[in-house]
Amino acid sequence: MGDEKIDKTIMIELSNTFKDAVSDVDVPSPNRAVARIDPGKVKEIMQFLLDNGFDHLSCVSGVDYPPDKMEVVYHVTSYSAPLVITLKASLPRDDPNIDSLCGIYWNANWYERETYELYGIKFNDCPYMKVLLLIEEMEGEWPLRKDYAGYPDLT
Amino acid sequence: MTHEATQITSPTKPSEILLHLGPQHPLQPGPFLLDLKIEGETIREAELKIGYIHKGMEKVFEDRTYLQILPLTDRICYLASNSNNDVYCRGVEELLGIEPTERAKYLRVLTNELCRLQSHLLGIGEYATDVGFLTMFIYMVREREGVVSLLEAITGSRLNHNYARFGGVANDLPPGYKEMALKTLGELKKQVKSHDEMLSSDSIYLRRTKGVGVLTAKEAGELGVAGPPLRAAGVEYDLRRMEPYLVYDDLDFKVITQTDGDVFSRVKVRLLEILESIYIIEQCLDQMPSGPYKQDVTPYITRPKPGEVYARIEDPRGEMGMYIISDGSDKPYRFRIRGPAFATAQALPPLLVGGYVADVAAIAASMDSCTSEVDR
Amino acid sequence: MEEGGLGMGEIEAELPPNVTVTSASAIQEFIKNSPLQKIVNWGRKNSLWFMTHPMGCCGIEQICVGVAHYDTDRFGIIPRCSPRQADVMMISGYVSKKYLPALQRVWDQMLEPKWILMMGECAISGGPWWESYSTVTHLDEIFPVDIYIPGCPPRPEALLQGFIELQKKIVAEQDRTVIPNPADGGV
Repeated sequence: MGDEKIDKTIMIELSNTFKDAVSDVDVPSPNRAVARIDPGKVKEIMQFLLDNGFDHLSCVSGVDYPPDKMEVVYHVTSYSAPLVITLKASLPRDDPNIDSLCGIYWNANWYERETYELYGIKFNDCPYMKVLLLIEEMEGEWPLRKDYAGYPDLT
Repeated sequence: MTHEATQITSPTKPSEILLHLGPQHPLQPGPFLLDLKIEGETIREAELKIGYIHKGMEKVFEDRTYLQILPLTDRICYLASNSNNDVYCRGVEELLGIEPTERAKYLRVLTNELCRLQSHLLGIGEYATDVGFLTMFIYMVREREGVVSLLEAITGSRLNHNYARFGGVANDLPPGYKEMALKTLGELKKQVKSHDEMLSSDSIYLRRTKGVGVLTAKEAGELGVAGPPLRAAGVEYDLRRMEPYLVYDDLDFKVITQTDGDVFSRVKVRLLEILESIYIIEQCLDQMPSGPYKQDVTPYITRPKPGEVYARIEDPRGEMGMYIISDGSDKPYRFRIRGPAFATAQALPPLLVGGYVADVAAIAASMDSCTSEVDR
Repeated sequence: MEEGGLGMGEIEAELPPNVTVTSASAIQEFIKNSPLQKIVNWGRKNSLWFMTHPMGCCGIEQICVGVAHYDTDRFGIIPRCSPRQADVMMISGYVSKKYLPALQRVWDQMLEPKWILMMGECAISGGPWWESYSTVTHLDEIFPVDIYIPGCPPRPEALLQGFIELQKKIVAEQDRTVIPNPADGGV
């Protein structure tokens, strides 16, 4: 796994290996690449990236697109190259759930717990899915959704 | 690595005790709750509960214009406020399609490195309090006052500087700054070298810190840690070299690493980085070009074109990233803050399991996490 | 004046002549209304020990004011780590809904007499995050506050002035240990 593999040619390999699951590949600058992935195949895609030198899961975030869509955005980087890959998975807003990456990247746990308590996106098979930042009474309110009634809190 | 030992279960044997460190505890830089299940002196399970200063920043930022967010990015991690301003401005500049001026780039590097100095000085000082070396804490805060005066001379504020602007910086250097800075930094270099000797030769300190809380390079990679803890394990991962931003590829500096990965190495990395930052600042003051410190055309109401950006910077604590999605209006659609202290705090419980209770203070303080950034 | 602890009139045995009985609260009332209270106040104001309780950005200025440059020890003010050993609690930063029960417990653990200093905008009114879903904004309805120090963060000199104003309040007997509710005519 030498340095010559950890550059934007990984995106070509990614779209060739997972033909239907990866789409809208874009390389806007030498160190940034974006792609859209199918949420059902997220574990295989992440395992492929881990095997090819992308050993650092930087961030997992959620984005809310009312009325019918929600997205999970993954940022994956490498400790030996400056490329950052952004992967987006689109989920239905009524019942968003996606597989957890805790078995592949150890530090995905806290990111997934935070995304769950702020957006309501369920991560299947994530160990210990419970609130991280909020109080337990606020579980179920999903504060970062665009239609959250409790903001602005003018009390 | 599994997640099992990082969740607390009730004690099953009469020899097991649950110990709660927090939410208010002398060793903490901010409130968190560290639950430990101990048997005798050994820690069997550890869990870190956070969220005691969760401000809901990401929701508040979606309701402010881009210029209104700028002073609030200081408050994400107050010890690295210039770095936060810089990474935010670089992200928005990429969306707007503008670049800072040459002089502004050098000024931003100067304030970034001054910020790194004062953050490391306070980090080592708080660590020294937790280990029991109160004299070092007083010395470090005294040195830090000198650096804070330098920052105050440029930006006007001791904390929460709010210095970078879109396309440049807020104001230029005051007259006579270079002589004042070189004098203060010369004094600081001498003092830091003597503190380094003090810390490397005290036998009780060495027994408390050498071989304690070892984080190998492989474990650090698995746990997702970056910054001084990773560099203390021998991995040369520094974003200033890996993905040079501003003018770092024109400056000469080393990436400081150590090999052991224990508490002693982490503190040593920070001490040596202080000396390296002073060298970078001296080069900046030498090489700074004259010219405007700000672009002429910076609109008051910024409306970037729709798109997204992920900007990164080498924070004093690791890799700080900001992911901004713009929908063409004057407020961001989504603002995600990826803080380095979140990753370091998540890696603390596995590091404590199997060790002694007496080492908790030293290990937790050597990871140098900033609770405000963990909770946002 | 002996046999304190019991209320007046609770002693059953026959008292010998020339013996008076009183109680600790009666002694305290006597001292409060006499010039002896001024000596007690002088002692209290010159050794206000605060609890190091960094909760946010203002916590850094709180640490800085206690050591080297802006020394508070010359006023008798030193930082203590434990609430049991401190007189003054400085709410230096943001209080969230999750932290409020812990803060109340810490306040209850402090021994009388005790005072509160609100430091910074986040403690006074919620600061820049006043609209957030997890802010507690009306802290002065929960705690008896003596001094408000505005600023974001306030300079260490402002913090020292806050302590001096607290000292003046103690000398003038206008602080919250004497006047608990502002509606009763306090400051």
